[in-house]
Amino acid sequence: MAPSIGIAELANQRHRIVSRKGTNFSIMVVGESGVGKTTFVNTLFSTVLKDSRVLHERHTHQLERTISIDVVRADVEEKGFKVRLTVVDTPGFGDYMNNQDCWVPIIDFLDDQHHNYMKAESSGARKGIDDVRIHACLYFIQPSGHTLKSLDIEVMKQLGSRVNLIPVIAKADTITPKDLATFKARILDCLKAHNIKYYIPSFEDDDEETTLVTQSIVSAMPFSVISSETEVMVDGKPVRGREYLWGVAEVENEAHCDFKKLRNLLIRTHMHDLITSTEEEHYETFRSTKLLSMGRSDDDPVARAKKSLASKMKEDEEALRKRFTEQVRQEENRFRQWEQKLIAERDRLNRDLEEHHSLVKELEAEYEEIQLQVKGGR
Amino acid sequence: MRRKNLKKGLTFTIMAAASGVGKTTFINTLCENPVLPAREVPDAEKAAAEKTVSINPTTIEMEEDGLKLSLTIIDTPGFGDNINSENSFQDILEYIEKQYDDILAEESRIKRTKFQDNRVHAVLYFIQPTGHSLREIDIEFMRRLSPRANIIPVIAKADSLTPRELSEFKHRIMEDITHYKISIYDFPIDPEVDDEESIEENNELRALLPFTVIGSEAEVNVAGRRVRCRQYPWGIVEVDNPRHCDFSKLRYMLLNSHLQDLKEITHDILYEQYRTEKLSGIVGSDDGPALADQAIRSHEASVKREYAQRMEGV
Repeated sequence: MAPSIGIAELANQRHRIVSRKGTNFSIMVVGESGVGKTTFVNTLFSTVLKDSRVLHERHTHQLERTISIDVVRADVEEKGFKVRLTVVDTPGFGDYMNNQDCWVPIIDFLDDQHHNYMKAESSGARKGIDDVRIHACLYFIQPSGHTLKSLDIEVMKQLGSRVNLIPVIAKADTITPKDLATFKARILDCLKAHNIKYYIPSFEDDDEETTLVTQSIVSAMPFSVISSETEVMVDGKPVRGREYLWGVAEVENEAHCDFKKLRNLLIRTHMHDLITSTEEEHYETFRSTKLLSMGRSDDDPVARAKKSLASKMKEDEEALRKRFTEQVRQEENRFRQWEQKLIAERDRLNRDLEEHHSLVKELEAEYEEIQLQVKGGR
Repeated sequence: MRRKNLKKGLTFTIMAAASGVGKTTFINTLCENPVLPAREVPDAEKAAAEKTVSINPTTIEMEEDGLKLSLTIIDTPGFGDNINSENSFQDILEYIEKQYDDILAEESRIKRTKFQDNRVHAVLYFIQPTGHSLREIDIEFMRRLSPRANIIPVIAKADSLTPRELSEFKHRIMEDITHYKISIYDFPIDPEVDDEESIEENNELRALLPFTVIGSEAEVNVAGRRVRCRQYPWGIVEVDNPRHCDFSKLRYMLLNSHLQDLKEITHDILYEQYRTEKLSGIVGSDDGPALADQAIRSHEASVKREYAQRMEGV
């Protein structure tokens, strides 16, 4: 019998190496203001990573219709395992009356991360690359109970092809369980109908137990979340939740929402999968498309700017043409309406005129009669 | 508030605006009847298409406190749904102004008949319960429509905010309304005319603005009573419970105590303002209708001259 070589020790070694090195994990949250993104992030990592939006100064500056990319970084450690956490928020997204193209800064940001990594990778000094490529993008859907909005569809289409997209139903404590199930089904239909790619954890190589867990995670998608940074007493125990007059909606109660499943997916069970799929799938897709346009990879910003300007010009032209035809049509309509109005008025006045005319005629006739009478009487 | 007794009953029109915040359910809850069908959810494929706002009036006959009421509810599905909502206001504003135009035309007739008053007496604007403050679309909508209709801001789906979050939200919304100089219906009092009880009632209602609402068509048995509510795994929210939301107060104010006031303001103030602006040519910045008016007026003048001549001739 051959002596054991110690291959089994490899697994332990790898564990020690990884936990010493730690890992980079970056997530991005996308959604309208007030949908619960900041609270969710703080709940997820059980710490106030980001302060809630400052509202008391909102009147002091002009309303700038911009979308910003807010990056927050923190080093988190649990049981000796270090994670360099990056959270990217997108304030201003979907907040305005005209949200056309509000996703462009976000898409550009995602592409830039891949691009920067690619440049760093091919440069001389390759050690210690600061990897801010986004490993998971959580898209927060308003809990309308109807279906996805056109903005949701447009943005998720763009996101899904570039990053691991995880659609999330925000503020789930506002939908009843039955409505929630219908809503989830409709969302899935919508995602399928528009070919929106979203992250589905793989479970081919897992053992049976893990497979079951993963399957239950997948069947709950899109995840409904309730977030809370504060704790409330329920049955004598402190629990993270939201306290209403009629009860407490608990964050970690699986009968109330899917927060736990989502947290498990992001952190406990599939963080590695999210990281590798970003590196292997999404980055490679980006890299191959970029390298295919060889020779232009160096003046990318210029080419991109040119392209975006050209497309913007085309858009503007198209918009102008549409507006022109629309205005012409409106003018025509208006003319027609005036015409009809004038005709109606004319007819009405004519009728009134006729009435008065016949009245005058009657009076005239009476007058004639009286005159005759007077004459005759004389 | 005194209420006039009319044999034929009152007509009252309310319009509701917002999207995906329970407006249709609210209307059905208000009327205690499934007046409006639940919104037809577009196919998955059509969900991405940009929609126009549809304006659907529905009239129902109700009896409120012994008084017959012919209530017209106008729903505005599609408002706020699009990526670009700039055009959505226009449709709603045009509808409201058209009702005024119709009244104006009737009043200018030589022979006036009893007209159907379709003017919108109150617009309930539903604010999304973000918990932050007003969004751009909220501010723009209320600002543009407040010169033409009584705006009553309402916080929708109030069961998604805790009591403290709600009071802070209400406070910030009122701050925004003051800051942007939006004139909403704020239960005006006339110290010379109103009695103390009315003044106090109005002050109380004003302090509640914006009203929080929760809508539900489902009834459940709670402790032996049939109660309209929403059932969650963590508790039951009652629509008519004044501790849970302001629905019952809003309903009473709309259909009972302040119905007459809303109608009067619509007629005496808002309609009059529109009339003045329209007749002096301010409204309708396009020259069309103004020109048409001019043409009619000059025609009238020439007809009058003809009369005068003929009278002289006789």
